[in-house]
Amino acid sequence: MTRPVPVPTSLSREFWAAAAEGRLAIPECDDCGIRFFVPEPACPGCLSRSWHYAPSAGTGTVYAVTVVHRVPGPGFEVPFALAVIDLDDGATLLSHVVDCPVDDVVIGLRVRADFRRLTDEITLPYFVRC
Amino acid sequence: MNRQPVIVGVHATEQARALPHRTPMDLALEAVTGAIADAGLRPSDVDGAQLDWPGPGGVPGEGSSWARIFGRDLRWTSDAMLDNAGSRGLLKAAAAIGCGFADTVVVGGCKLATRDQGEGPIGAGVPLEFTDVWGSYVVAQFALVASRHMHEFGTTPEQLATVAATIRGNGTTNPEAVMFGKGPYTVADVLASRLVATPFHLLDCCIVGEGGAALVVTTAERARDLPHVPVAVLGGGMEYHQAAYANPALFREVGMLGQDAATRAFGMAGITPADIDVFSLYDPNSFEIIRQLEALGVCAQGEGGPLVESGAIGLDGKHPVNPDGGCLAYAWNGTQQMTLKVVEAVRQLRGSAVHQIDGAELAAVGNAGSGAQHYEMSLLGRL
Repeated sequence: MTRPVPVPTSLSREFWAAAAEGRLAIPECDDCGIRFFVPEPACPGCLSRSWHYAPSAGTGTVYAVTVVHRVPGPGFEVPFALAVIDLDDGATLLSHVVDCPVDDVVIGLRVRADFRRLTDEITLPYFVRC
Repeated sequence: MNRQPVIVGVHATEQARALPHRTPMDLALEAVTGAIADAGLRPSDVDGAQLDWPGPGGVPGEGSSWARIFGRDLRWTSDAMLDNAGSRGLLKAAAAIGCGFADTVVVGGCKLATRDQGEGPIGAGVPLEFTDVWGSYVVAQFALVASRHMHEFGTTPEQLATVAATIRGNGTTNPEAVMFGKGPYTVADVLASRLVATPFHLLDCCIVGEGGAALVVTTAERARDLPHVPVAVLGGGMEYHQAAYANPALFREVGMLGQDAATRAFGMAGITPADIDVFSLYDPNSFEIIRQLEALGVCAQGEGGPLVESGAIGLDGKHPVNPDGGCLAYAWNGTQQMTLKVVEAVRQLRGSAVHQIDGAELAAVGNAGSGAQHYEMSLLGRL
């Protein structure tokens, strides 16, 4: 069994298409200019229905982290560092910080996106230390 | 006519890690008929059903299924499981009664997360595109908030463990509790248990089990000739930050979630957090009690850790929390654990609780969830 595979929606199709090409794309409002994540039917800043995916540099800082020791389901190997990352250019993402000991992943750690393929359709934005 | 909403009946079924000999419908029926009997009423006296209907029979999930077996048409119903439990269910019933849409509403039932989701950690219950793929289940979501609180205020694992040891201790001496006879637990025991998701050890996290619960709400007028001392809904408030788990709970957004609900509730009741004799609060993990004591205004933000370390939440402390053992040791059973929080508060105010707080006259009930992205609280008092 594998871990749960995201099913793209009309809101997220472009996010996953960009990720498959190794690019991080984040919703940006055409009217008030804020970036937000996850994608919503309208901007959380001003309720505008006009927004687009803007490229993100993919660098950011760990805002919160938990090292998960109990296997949360099929397809996961523990321990892993589940982290909330504040992107430098706006919006906040949930991801894993990988390629370092889990205990090194602390609040304030500088990280950058690093893409790993999950299925033919889905490539995931992981994060690694800068 | 005095339409002040009051609780006149409560019932908690047996609670256990698993009840293979019971069905959800069987547990719901026991909870509902038990609460109606406790109120000294008959099913045909009930004109509102905010109740789970697990089926088989009727239409699963449709509250009006109860009308047929109550033997009368209903004036108020609910099809949403979170509206059928705890403070949220109670406040919606109280609103209906206060407005005159119904006179006597039963809230509760049985909705078992364990049987819906099978093995493995409890998740959100619906597929979440940007959450499930990261293995971000319920315990981990709360852990992300706790870790940031510890970072900002120096809250310690020992302070978290103090919450767990205290509330678990209450449950191990409560014969109705799933963990009855298992304790006592020390802070060291909690810290020595295996890690689930940092900072939470196994004993920092609530148990998972099965069971049902229900309560009957009516008017103060109707309660006059019923057997129990009525417990009045003095105030309440609800607060919703965003939908459950679609985004991670961020400490900077939800650290004080519940403050607005509490301010509204205490203002409505004309009392302060210092007046509360007993707290019945959502305890999916040890940290959530520290956060709620801060959000409810029992102490300032950041002071929850030292407050619990001082012994304040114990049975003989200044702010007793979850004398029944809470979700950490009494029962967590899906959504109806929220109703169990009200049941314990009512028993405390009736003077009939297992671990009775002497002279309890005012109780605060807090339900929350999703990390916590929602909060529902009610303030109860002997009429």
